[in-house]
Amino acid sequence: MERSFKTEVQSLSLGAGETFHGEGILAVTKALLQSGVSYVGGYQGAPVSHLLDVMVEAEPQMRALGVHVETCTNEASAAAMLGASINYPLRGAVTWKSIVGTNVAADALSNLASPGVIGGAMIIVGEDYGEGASVIQERTYAYAMKSSMWLLDPRPDLPAIVRTVEKGFELSESSHTPVMLELRIRACHATGQFEAKDNRKPVFSGINPLTEPAKFNYSRLSHPPVTYVQERLKVEQRLPAARAFIREHKLNETIAGDVTDIGIVVMGGLTNSVLRALERLGLADVFGASRVPLLVLNVVYPLVPEELREFCAGKRAVLIVEEGYPDYIEQAVNVELRRADIQTRVYGKGLLPQAGEYASDVLLNGIAGFLKETRPNGLDADVVAAKALAIVAQKTKAAATLGPLPPRPPSFCTGCPERPVFSAIKLMQREIGPTHISADIGCHSFATFAPFSMGNSILGYGMSLASAAAVGPNLAKRPISVMGDGGFWHNGVITGVASNLFNKGDGVLIVMQNGYTSATGQQFMPSTPVNREGPSGMSIEQTLRAMGVKWLRTVRTYSVATMVKTLKEAMKTAERGLKVIIADGECQLARQRRVRAQDAEKLARGERVTRARYGVDDEICTGDHSCIRLSGCPSLTVKPSPDPLRTDPVATVIESCVGCGLCGEVAHAAVLCPSFYRAEIVRNATWWDRFKFRLRGAVIGALGGYNPRKPVVKAAT
Amino acid sequence: MSGPRPITLLIAALGGEGGGVLTSWIVRAAETCDFPVQSTSIPGVAQRTGATTYYIEILPVKTGELGGKRPVLALVPGIGDIDIAVASELLEAGRTVANGFVTPERTFAIASTSRFYAMDEKIAMGDGRFDAQKLRQVITQNSKDALLIDMETLAKKPDALINAVMLGAIAGSGRLPIPVEAFEAAIRADGKAVESNLRGFHAGLDAARAKTDGVVEQDAKKPARNTAEALEAEIERTIPAAAKPIAIEGVRRLAKYQSIAYAGLYLERLAPFIGGDARLLTEIARHLAVRMSYEDVIRVAATKIAPERLARIAREELKSDGEPFTVHDFLKPGIEEMCQILPPFIARPILLYSAKKGWLGRVYFGMEINSTSISGYLRFLMLAKLRGLRPYGHRYKEEQQQIEAWLGLVAKAARLSPQIALEVAECARLIKGYGDTHARGRANDATIVQRVIFPVLAGDIGLAQAADAIASARTAALVDPEGESLAKCLAALDAGSTRVAAE
Repeated sequence: MERSFKTEVQSLSLGAGETFHGEGILAVTKALLQSGVSYVGGYQGAPVSHLLDVMVEAEPQMRALGVHVETCTNEASAAAMLGASINYPLRGAVTWKSIVGTNVAADALSNLASPGVIGGAMIIVGEDYGEGASVIQERTYAYAMKSSMWLLDPRPDLPAIVRTVEKGFELSESSHTPVMLELRIRACHATGQFEAKDNRKPVFSGINPLTEPAKFNYSRLSHPPVTYVQERLKVEQRLPAARAFIREHKLNETIAGDVTDIGIVVMGGLTNSVLRALERLGLADVFGASRVPLLVLNVVYPLVPEELREFCAGKRAVLIVEEGYPDYIEQAVNVELRRADIQTRVYGKGLLPQAGEYASDVLLNGIAGFLKETRPNGLDADVVAAKALAIVAQKTKAAATLGPLPPRPPSFCTGCPERPVFSAIKLMQREIGPTHISADIGCHSFATFAPFSMGNSILGYGMSLASAAAVGPNLAKRPISVMGDGGFWHNGVITGVASNLFNKGDGVLIVMQNGYTSATGQQFMPSTPVNREGPSGMSIEQTLRAMGVKWLRTVRTYSVATMVKTLKEAMKTAERGLKVIIADGECQLARQRRVRAQDAEKLARGERVTRARYGVDDEICTGDHSCIRLSGCPSLTVKPSPDPLRTDPVATVIESCVGCGLCGEVAHAAVLCPSFYRAEIVRNATWWDRFKFRLRGAVIGALGGYNPRKPVVKAAT
Repeated sequence: MSGPRPITLLIAALGGEGGGVLTSWIVRAAETCDFPVQSTSIPGVAQRTGATTYYIEILPVKTGELGGKRPVLALVPGIGDIDIAVASELLEAGRTVANGFVTPERTFAIASTSRFYAMDEKIAMGDGRFDAQKLRQVITQNSKDALLIDMETLAKKPDALINAVMLGAIAGSGRLPIPVEAFEAAIRADGKAVESNLRGFHAGLDAARAKTDGVVEQDAKKPARNTAEALEAEIERTIPAAAKPIAIEGVRRLAKYQSIAYAGLYLERLAPFIGGDARLLTEIARHLAVRMSYEDVIRVAATKIAPERLARIAREELKSDGEPFTVHDFLKPGIEEMCQILPPFIARPILLYSAKKGWLGRVYFGMEINSTSISGYLRFLMLAKLRGLRPYGHRYKEEQQQIEAWLGLVAKAARLSPQIALEVAECARLIKGYGDTHARGRANDATIVQRVIFPVLAGDIGLAQAADAIASARTAALVDPEGESLAKCLAALDAGSTRVAAE
């Protein structure tokens, strides 16, 4: 894994009276253990990749409590795990990234929510919305509403998050409904502290298993005709039960203020941002006291009508701070006030943007607009609004002086084994012309950025081959689908490969076999050579052969020339059917972590170690940067030309080079300039290494060349 | 409402620079001082050299003095709400300004002047680098106070990571109520690479306290050695001061590249332009020297076995302390490169035949030569020794003809105006590289000569627009290797507009 939580997970063992210090995701894990879960699982994806990593690394603590940990192969399999809570009094939690993970899990979620649960079931969704998000921007809220699951959105403060997790299980059990806990990326990684409690051993677990399976009970199935009954149960029993629980346990909070004729209703997760905006306008302090009253919704679905009525009663207007589209909460508040015949005016979208993240400037503008619009008693709206305007104006001014800055999106790491594949595709396209590229989710989607700028569609994780199904038959040239091994096992093997073979399809599929789900932090997956339980024995090549793929080549990714040849063959062969190229090369981040440690040990033991790095002769480089356009390696960059006669910068290889060899391969395959070289040093050299080195130096030196044993005399300038 | 305000700290870094560790040091140091503190980050984009930020809020009131009250700290940095903005890289520092986080009212900006070029800057065919001077200026102007130091260089000497230097700079800024010892303790408590991190920390600390980067700006240019005294004396006599250094460099280069006589030819070619516009002369002197020392196998071979080169690789890149090493060079000459050094009467038929067979641009002789082995050295040595035969080669003749043609155009344009002549001279920038790249550069140059420069000289394009038209076409040719921008630019020119898409 990319990041180790070995030390951090120790804090999961803290007991009552001790203070926990750490990150949001660890706090959530601690809260799960304090809640007595019997099982946890999930599928990685920022923002909650680390949550799964923590669960995996905390396995010893988990095992001691009898908690089962499962690293699922996709979100559907994680969601289906919650099925254990339908019939048994087992608390369980799973996690994934939303919206995409929730989409994948949707089938299981519907079938879970319909019969409902006995044991508390919680889904911790990492809300990948706004800043840094890597997925389509949609709200998880719709899933909560359509399947009748409760959606918790706690204030991003560790004690509040921990309490919401604990109360969430009770809510789930008291209303027989699975709950979702939504955490935005910064909340997942916010540091803080809270007073720990003792961990609770689950009543039933691996240590103390249930003796008997549940009796057959048709009403616990999501199967007709009981599904009709269940639909009614959801609205007639579970929803009222949930609302009563939320109200009774005060899951939502109100902050009283002296400007009583207006108020703000805010999603729990945005509370700190709204309070800070108010503080900057002089309307709140740093301890959370506010002059404008606030209703903080730590549970955003369902809303509790009584709470809304009580908050709005006597107010001329309220502002709903609800991020994302559609404005579900704003609509619900409007409906509730209408039903109760309360005349409070509802503001929301309009003053605040319909779409996009509610960053600080957006909130400042929105709140200023609200105050100007409503002119509440007891404060000068114009003075406050002017403050907001001045702050926002500074940004516009600064941005204008600089002009557009070059973007800096994430890119393939130094030495990444996937980059050479795109170099090869680029070279192949030079010969046979442009090709349709069906892209996928994973590190390889960085090929959509410069210098490759490749990819015609992205339809979801593992979906590249399936999304080319109707392209191929309608295009003169075969489409190329790119899929990672993560995506292959996530679902590409079924939705893509099986479907293609079943339909006797054609086309080219490149499977990037780097051994991990690298984009999310190098988690293990089914074909990882050695994972935490030892090798799984699953192989992509054998799977494909068993499924009936006839045209199958495995090519080492760094062999650019071979890759170009294989790609051309796949594109041109008259043979019909799916052509699969397994692009084989271990994730360089994972490899470096291993190799560096091994080399350090060898060095310490006095064993022979070689280290290679690449370089560019700046006297030969003419500064046209073709090599960079074909490679895109972070270690291959530019520097000012040392040549007094040239102004354009020349290429250079910086110290971070790991010697993967792509520079040389590309220089060769693309017939670039002769300026690339590989330099290799031998540490703890053998006598033979040293003898050869001395002999060469002596002979070459005698011929007027470089002799390492003689210093180079610089002639006077 | 009033009360204490948190101190806000925004860290802009690139994935892999240890921004997360830096954040944890600051949090730990604040915690040991009993200040309420909160940090957030957005991992996921933090990997793989993408731009990322970390955000920290510290309430400068000890927890014990708060009477049980807990602060509500923000997770998201607010525009105009940052007290300390730290960036590990100059462009990223600029980005914090452009995003509105740095303000003259309150922000202390700490930025490294080092650059890690973004992809768009690197892939330009010419010079795509963002103006560093402008970045420095904007950062200084938009902040309350700024500390610009070369953190990359500061980190190199103590063999530390840049994050330790950043921590030192933050500590040295004096803007946090946290003593230096607390930061040191945080590094020690981490237990990883403690010594090098402490060294890096102190390098940053000292630089921040001294408000200088402690690094002497080195001249990156490597001038050639003096080899042609008679010619240099001539330059001293005839060439105006502004062009002198370039002309001297040119003479030295060409004497080494070919011979004193060849360097003499260089001065002869410059002579007609002496007495005209000084800037034009300088630019011609620069480009002429580069064009006359065109890259061929002889030059490449000589460069590859130069003792200074191997000494530099051993010393700077491999950090060899007498340990054995090897240097392997990648070459892939094609038929054209092989023919360069053959006499024209042999080269031409071979090239014609190869072209007919479709071998050009397809048949290459790939080789990886160990330049530190005896056989590898001898191969390059043999090629380098062919220097004396160069003037009899096919390429030499071709290059000299093209140089003469180019100088002819510049001279004609100079009669119109020095500005236009300068733009024509600058077109030499298009011709560079090897193989495909070189062929493409030449083709682009030829296109611009045909479609823009000839019409200018013939008076078909007005004098007022001429310089602009040539400059636009040249810029467009350097935008994309596919030539789409150049085509668009020329089409726009034909349509009578000289303001072009390439700008």
